[in-house]
Amino acid sequence: MNMINLLLFPIIIPFFFAMILMFFKEQVVVQRVLTLIGLALSLVASFWLIATVKTEGIQTVTLGSWPAPFGITMVSDMFSALLVTTTIIITIFVVIYSFSSIGVERERFFYYPAILFMITGINGAFTTGDIFNMFVFFEVLLIASYLLIVLGGEKRQLRESIKYILVNVISSAIFVIAVAYLYSIIGTLNMADISVKIAEINQPGIISVIAILFLIVFGIKGAIFPLYFWLPNSYAAPPIPILALFGALLTKVGVYAITRTYTLFFVHDIGFTHQFLMVLALLTIIAGCIGALAYFDLKQIIIYNIIIAVGVILFGVAQMNTSGLEGAVYYLLHDMLIKGALFVLIGIIIYATGTSNLREMGGLIKTHATLGWTYLIAAFGLAGIPPLSGFIGKVLITKGAFEADHVIGSIIILASSLVVLLSVIRIFIYAFWGPQKNELPVRDQRTYRQMMFPAIMLVLITVAYGVGAEWLMPYMTDAANVLADPSIYINAVLKE
Amino acid sequence: MITVLLAIFIPFIAACLVPFIHKILTGRRIGWFVITIPLFLFILLIRLVPSLSNGASYLYTFPWIPSADVYFSTHLDGLSMIFALLITGIGSLVVLYSIYYLSEREAIGRFYTYLLLFMGAMLGVVLSDNLIVLYVFWELTSISSFLLIAFWYHRKQSRYGAKKSMLITVTGGIFMLVGFLMLYTITGTFNLQELISMREVIAADSLFIPAMLLVLIGAFTKSAQFPFHIWLPDAMEAPTPVSAYLHSATMVKAGIYLVARFTPVFAGDTTWFYVVSCVGLLTMLWGSVNAVKQTDLKALLAFSTVSQLGMIMSLLGIGSLAFASSESTQIALFTAATFAALFHLINHSTFKGSLFMVVGILDHELGTRNIKRLGGLATIMPITFTIALIGSFSMAGLPPFNGFLSKELFFEAMLSLKEANLLSMDSLVLLFPIIAWVGSIFTFIYCMIIVFQTFFGKVHAPAPGQRPAHEAPIQMLISPMVLGSLVVLIFIFPNLLGTYILGPAMNAVYPQYEGMPGLVPEIHVWHGWEMPIFMTIGVIIIGILLYGLLRYWKWIYSVGFLQWTLDRLYNALLQRIERVASVVTKTYMTGSVRDYVAYIMLFFIALVGIGLLGFQQFIFDFSDDAVIEINESIIIFVMMCSSVAILFAKSRITAIILNGVLGYSIAILFVVFRAPDLALTQIIVETVTTVLFLLCFYYLPEWKNEYKSVSMRIRNGLIAVASGVAVTVIALLVQGHSMYPSISIYYETASRLAGGLNVVNTILGDFRAFDTMLEVLVLFIAGLGVYSLVKLRRKKGVDHPEEK
Amino acid sequence: METLITLLVGVLVAVGVYLLLSKEMLRIILGTAILSHAIHLLLLTMGGLKKGDVPLLTETAAEYTDALPQALILTAIVISFAVTAFLLVLSYRVYQESGRGPRLRGRQDE
Repeated sequence: MNMINLLLFPIIIPFFFAMILMFFKEQVVVQRVLTLIGLALSLVASFWLIATVKTEGIQTVTLGSWPAPFGITMVSDMFSALLVTTTIIITIFVVIYSFSSIGVERERFFYYPAILFMITGINGAFTTGDIFNMFVFFEVLLIASYLLIVLGGEKRQLRESIKYILVNVISSAIFVIAVAYLYSIIGTLNMADISVKIAEINQPGIISVIAILFLIVFGIKGAIFPLYFWLPNSYAAPPIPILALFGALLTKVGVYAITRTYTLFFVHDIGFTHQFLMVLALLTIIAGCIGALAYFDLKQIIIYNIIIAVGVILFGVAQMNTSGLEGAVYYLLHDMLIKGALFVLIGIIIYATGTSNLREMGGLIKTHATLGWTYLIAAFGLAGIPPLSGFIGKVLITKGAFEADHVIGSIIILASSLVVLLSVIRIFIYAFWGPQKNELPVRDQRTYRQMMFPAIMLVLITVAYGVGAEWLMPYMTDAANVLADPSIYINAVLKE
Repeated sequence: MITVLLAIFIPFIAACLVPFIHKILTGRRIGWFVITIPLFLFILLIRLVPSLSNGASYLYTFPWIPSADVYFSTHLDGLSMIFALLITGIGSLVVLYSIYYLSEREAIGRFYTYLLLFMGAMLGVVLSDNLIVLYVFWELTSISSFLLIAFWYHRKQSRYGAKKSMLITVTGGIFMLVGFLMLYTITGTFNLQELISMREVIAADSLFIPAMLLVLIGAFTKSAQFPFHIWLPDAMEAPTPVSAYLHSATMVKAGIYLVARFTPVFAGDTTWFYVVSCVGLLTMLWGSVNAVKQTDLKALLAFSTVSQLGMIMSLLGIGSLAFASSESTQIALFTAATFAALFHLINHSTFKGSLFMVVGILDHELGTRNIKRLGGLATIMPITFTIALIGSFSMAGLPPFNGFLSKELFFEAMLSLKEANLLSMDSLVLLFPIIAWVGSIFTFIYCMIIVFQTFFGKVHAPAPGQRPAHEAPIQMLISPMVLGSLVVLIFIFPNLLGTYILGPAMNAVYPQYEGMPGLVPEIHVWHGWEMPIFMTIGVIIIGILLYGLLRYWKWIYSVGFLQWTLDRLYNALLQRIERVASVVTKTYMTGSVRDYVAYIMLFFIALVGIGLLGFQQFIFDFSDDAVIEINESIIIFVMMCSSVAILFAKSRITAIILNGVLGYSIAILFVVFRAPDLALTQIIVETVTTVLFLLCFYYLPEWKNEYKSVSMRIRNGLIAVASGVAVTVIALLVQGHSMYPSISIYYETASRLAGGLNVVNTILGDFRAFDTMLEVLVLFIAGLGVYSLVKLRRKKGVDHPEEK
Repeated sequence: METLITLLVGVLVAVGVYLLLSKEMLRIILGTAILSHAIHLLLLTMGGLKKGDVPLLTETAAEYTDALPQALILTAIVISFAVTAFLLVLSYRVYQESGRGPRLRGRQDE
């Protein structure tokens, strides 16, 4: 295989393994092993991809070898390569967590294939350079997520999944409408080509209206204000591993798409589009903060923190300067990792206590000290306590905001850290330090240890991600540079 | 110099080792390992004192995140040295004290881990030269303080105090960070030394005042200045060694450090003076007045710490005036205030540290810290009493103790204000010494309370389960004794401290006056009959009077605004926030999908509306339209009718059939529009869909007439119509804006190359084969979904596996 | 012609959205189906209607109608069919599980 197809591996390998798993529906152990092998291979490929992009620049491949704007082009710049890699890392650990928590019944009903298909869709959406193909990848990841959210057939799951699906159907509908409009004006689907042509006509008003439509489409997926209503209840319905995957990955696809379109297509009327994006991002943060304080349910608290993070990232994107974008990329990856870790951790807390209601918990530190400290580190990381990973991203974003003269906005960003801290530290104080309310259910210590392994690994990765910021910085800079200067992307795709 | 860097990291490394070493050195013996760390560092640092007093300073840098201008740089100068010595010196004594204070049954290992963590973080704060690194350690001190306050986490009050202190100090830290980032925006550096050299640039920037205020909020929260002081009394839930160490000697002084450190950067503007000195004085008064009413000795000491910190803060404020002055006599007058601040900083650590330890001993031996249940201990615990006496009298500002010296300097500094040629300051100048004086009277009163109400008067019977009162073991007395003797020694040899320790620090605060005569004044025990000594005498006389009459005027604490505490505000705020958040969230999170859809569509309509009206580009172009033939218009008419009819369908079968009509009509339209492949697919899909609908129809109940209210119908109708209009209007506009020919032309020529004559098929099978493959995948996954939906069912009553 | 079809699309969208706003599951699913009809028509219209011959390459035709939207619609039709089918089965299961018509109200903490 020549180097040029490397960027397809993280998409194709999960797909391929998912297909193989079909033959082992009843052999759960085989499924587990194969899933891990598939993900490990994808991880190797994605690391290789990062290295290649770092040394050789953006990788592209046009399927069927047709010249660029006509075939479907897959493009891997540093931003997408980093996202692809992070996605696979999180999936590996969530899958390991699933071994001891999801239950054999679900495993026998296409749990692992569905995850792998979803990864195919997510990585595809991160990598594609064709706007309609992005729609198709979205549908792949959505239908896989539909399968995951209903899997198990619990009453609440079924009820919430209908809402989830309906909202996404609407969003997909608007997606196609927006693509149709864009096609009518620009006459092309290749993203680099779209960027060139929008630049040529200097983004007339109607294009800005289409930009807003795209914002709605991806905003529904990415859960921005005021389109996030569907998220908290739907995400809380499925079991923890699925929630962890959704929380860490799915909204981020929407955030990615907004970032991509708002840095590649709609960059000629920043005064309107990006100002608008920024206001929405700030409102998203505020709404998320209100929600995070409103609940005494573990899942809800962390779920609302997803929304806050989406706001923070998009605020960084809206600055449209290198610092802001660098911060956004850094924070995006941080948030994926830390959300994965936190969901797994609260999953273990729920497993240990048998409830997700904070008011019914207490005294866990005596019996589950490791869990407590791991959680505390993750919580501090989420709140951006230095030198953990949330801190550097936020500092960069704020720096970008200062450069763009958005002082109030940056204060809101930093103030939101406080709400985040309050919301997650509350969990710690209640669940670990508080007086023990109920007798803890008897749990298998081996299962507990098996669950702790992925949690600790994820937290360690986030810590390394924060402390080793310098080592990662060149990659972030590369990613931000492409976002800040669309011509790099365009030249890579449309090179003759 | 790498020593400085080591000084920061050694405690952290030791903190990590404690859990392991604790396995070997079990019980309280682990303390002997821990004590070597601060002791070693203290010796390491104190060896550098002579060279520092010769004007040396030690800078060591290594890159951490150079791409973001974050360097791990440490800088040891005179100012840092004072704090570093306090941290390690008092740290050694506190560890020694704690070895006998903590009971063997407690989680001693955890305690020392936190304590070392704090020690490292605190050293990091005072030794960092990079603002970001400083902030990192700043927040680490908040966190270690959080963990230490909640050391007895099973107590509700401990958890409350821990959360409160962390929230307030972290908030301050975040504001401070914003300030730092503003400074970075102005100067492009996080480096403190560079910032100081760029103070003119900073002062000229419009962000100067905001940055200053934000940095000050950070300092004020950490140093418990009014109105952020409310966390400190609650922090007293921590074990007493922690209170002595963090909450009186070191961590609360981080704010003082920050203000002193930033004086050269900000002091050029008198705003700095006003804010720092006014807040400081107010804090001093508020703290001392509130201390008098406390009955818990530790709470009393907490308010006294608040008050003393306010006093130091106000002195720093006055010291900053030296930057605004030009005459050398004036400069010397104001720099003396800073000198007094630094001097008192050290004095306070000595006497307050010893007092906390005394209270710890009382608590440890008698099981209570309540003044009302203590008394007559002077003869039973003579050593403890002596230490308490020394500490309290020093705090009250009496000779022959070091507090007297700094109190004199304090009055002198307050009086020096009348020399300042500040505009419209006359009345305020008069007020400053008066407030200082009143504050000192109250200070005197609570010092007397500590000594006389605890150690004199009636001996109380021991609390149930407690042994009768007796002197504490000598091991616990060593540390307070050392501090007590320092209180006296400093009084006798104040200038030793002045030359070697305070001098270099003054150079750090006033880099431009370095070496100026009078920058490091001689400290005299006797000044002659001047204003300060009269003020001190006044304090003593009125203080004794008021103390004697205490029970006659104590009622004023129960009336008016003194009753009203900021604590209540904090509690109410926190509760209110949670309640409001809950109400707000539950109002819009109805859980109804219909509302979600309505929100989304309304937002869609609103945005499109704003966008269209905002751009005002209503260019419609119908010239390129294809002609309409009659049969086509009939189909379209049928479709419109049948779609609208679905809304009014009485039975679901009608609706399904009407939907089928729509689907097949679209197939016909596809034929008309030269898309035969589409028409075929549409017919197949439509047939299967209809069959599926009918199948489900078999299982689902007959649809009821929806009991929608009229207003609901109108609302939904409006949303629906508006959505339709929005889609149509944009579509029409878009058609008028068609700017480029489609890329499709390429496919027509290229299809021949690909060997296909049907262009659509070639696109699907070749150019965009990836789409087609994925579309099949979607269908496949949907199939899996349907299969598992039908096959996999939960047993009744079993929900999430985690929640079994 | 384009204008007329665009109007038709508008009507279909309005009907679709109105149905989506109802309580009854079947109506909602019908709403999604109608919405997707509207979108497919829109997509076709956006490429221009009847601008040339059927895109089957022959020697005679001078101009062909835009083939790309047709290809996209084909993909979209299959996808929306998959989703509709899934939704239908799901609503059947919800009904079965709860023993009555799928209720879409209700808080998660009930």
